[in-house]
Amino acid sequence: MPVPQQLGRGDRMGRGPYEKSGIIEDTGLPPGKTVNERFDIFYPLEEVEQNGKTITRPQAYDLDIEVKLWYVPFGPLGPKINDPFLWDEFAKTVSISKTGK
Amino acid sequence: MKLRVTGTLALLAATALLAGTACADGKVGIGRQETIAAKSGKAKTLAELAKMYDSSSCIECHQDKYDEAQKSIHSRSIYGTGRTALTIMTTIENGLMEEPYSGVKSPKDVKVEHLMGCAKCHLPQLADAEDSVAQELVTTLYDWKAALKKKDKVAAKKAEDTLKSVNIGCLICHNRNAITHKWQDGYAKAGVVYGSKDGDHPSDKFPKMAVSPIMGEAIQCGQCHGMGPNMELDEPTQCCTSYGSYLWAYKSEIGQKNCQDCHMKESKLGHNIQSYRDPGMAKAAVDFKTEAFGYYWRDGAQIRPKAVVKVEMINRAGHSIPDG
Ligand code: HEC
Ligand code: HEC
Ligand code: HEC
Ligand code: HEC
Ligand code: HEC
Repeated sequence: MPVPQQLGRGDRMGRGPYEKSGIIEDTGLPPGKTVNERFDIFYPLEEVEQNGKTITRPQAYDLDIEVKLWYVPFGPLGPKINDPFLWDEFAKTVSISKTGK
Repeated sequence: MKLRVTGTLALLAATALLAGTACADGKVGIGRQETIAAKSGKAKTLAELAKMYDSSSCIECHQDKYDEAQKSIHSRSIYGTGRTALTIMTTIENGLMEEPYSGVKSPKDVKVEHLMGCAKCHLPQLADAEDSVAQELVTTLYDWKAALKKKDKVAAKKAEDTLKSVNIGCLICHNRNAITHKWQDGYAKAGVVYGSKDGDHPSDKFPKMAVSPIMGEAIQCGQCHGMGPNMELDEPTQCCTSYGSYLWAYKSEIGQKNCQDCHMKESKLGHNIQSYRDPGMAKAAVDFKTEAFGYYWRDGAQIRPKAVVKVEMINRAGHSIPDG
């Protein structure tokens, strides 16, 4: 979304069309250009006793990943008036090996 | 070996002699008195304003266009999804009433000029109405809000219908706003529908049709779809900026399509002009590719398994999305 300046001055964002003037930045998707997002999600770890030693290992070896592209016209995700729209989604279970060095 | 290329820039001077059929009588804007607004005089009530640009006579012959246009938000352009009507009231309370020099102390002081900051695009024909119409609009907005609060569905629906009775109908696009460059192309005349051809038009009220040089051009839509602050106003407003984005981010760098190509033709939606709420438009808008994989990341003695998620998006629309 083009983030407008309030009354065309300073560092405050305007929200109503009566006070919006100018642009601070556009957080939307520009036309025709590739936009990349990358997320690094660490597996939660736990400490356990094994053969008398404390070792750290993943709490789980499978992570269910969901990526959702939402369009939220106004306000926080939720009540009906905001009319959020789920543009696209992706789901995959990412697994890591259980044995190895 | 070196090649020397000498370029010659020819300056072409074109002199156009325009033999005008119209006769200048010292006034700015020849033909202004031929417009629907000038012929009928300023509307004093909302009903008069609705009648001035009443498109119901078009239905009998253009039922298909009408059915499509009714589904588009242009047919309820000051009500919108309900958010537009609400925001006009916010504009009165948090905007106009707080601005020390606006002349608005209460909603009763709101005049046409105050509302034009929104109506410029949401209801351009409000410029053809007297201040009594601005007051009627404001009263209807507050009646609607009060009815919603009281959960009085009948009263709320009545006010909602009144708000929808004035809108961007056939005659806004095909007459009132069909010509942007009025000193070059002339003012839109009463009794004429503007489209792609000149000739007779089999309608009693609109016996002629004429070419609008912009009907298939982006500027037709762009005149209401915003470029940034509306600087011509004493108190500039800013809402939609999709025309600005189209001009500078799409047309300048990406592609050559017009609004009509994507929104009316390729979409096969015709006059049912839509955004993402139409599944076809949503699908056409973004390429969304995602991949995810996991591995044991290590840094020295530290081992931290992680999942990497990579998302690649390309916006295929003709402007930045979402707009705001
Ligand atoms: C009695 C039937 C009738 C009525 C009523 C009528 N039209 Fe038409 N209209 C036609 C026909 C038939 C054509 C095609 C004429 C031609 O191509 O020679 C046409 C053509 C047009 C065109 C030009 C189309 C082009 O290809 O450029 C527009 C714009 C238009 N009408 C708009 C309207 C509007 C707006 C109204 C209501 C104010 C209206 N018409 C009322 C029958 C009608
Ligand atoms: C330059 C033309 C223009 C002006 C001036 C303008 N708007 Fe808009 N407005 C639009 C367009 C076009 C849209 C729809 C497309 C979009 O959101 O990009 C829109 C969308 C909106 C929306 C969002 C509707 C929704 O359901 O999410 C609201 C609310 C709104 N306008 C209120 C206002 C108010 C209040 C004013 C006056 C202070 C105003 N607008 C001034 C053109 C304008
Ligand atoms: C938001 C602006 C807008 C509104 C509202 C609108 N039109 Fe159009 N209309 C256009 C544009 C733009 C074109 C030309 C599309 C193109 O380039 O193919 C067009 C084309 C037409 C045509 C001729 C081309 C065709 O598709 O056959 C007719 C007839 C027509 N409109 C009638 C109507 C009628 C009747 C209404 C009201 C029910 C209406 N229009 C409302 C913008 C509008
Ligand atoms: C007379 C001014 C005007 C013209 C001309 C106009 N629009 Fe709009 N348009 C608006 C307004 C105002 C809105 C927003 C109404 C609201 O949400 O309250 C809008 C909304 C839209 C939307 C959003 C629809 C939705 O349901 O979210 C699209 C898409 C759109 N217009 C495209 C176009 C195209 C394409 C053209 C040209 C063929 C065009 N408009 C011509 C004023 C105009
Ligand atoms: C290359 C195709 C293309 C062109 C050109 C194009 N649009 Fe769009 N437009 C789309 C698609 C696809 C969407 C749906 C995505 C969306 O709603 O955000 C869209 C959405 C919109 C919206 C809704 C924006 C929002 O926040 O959801 C508006 C308003 C709009 N277009 C107006 C215009 C206007 C005005 C023009 C010309 C100046 C234009 N479009 C040119 C493809 C196009």
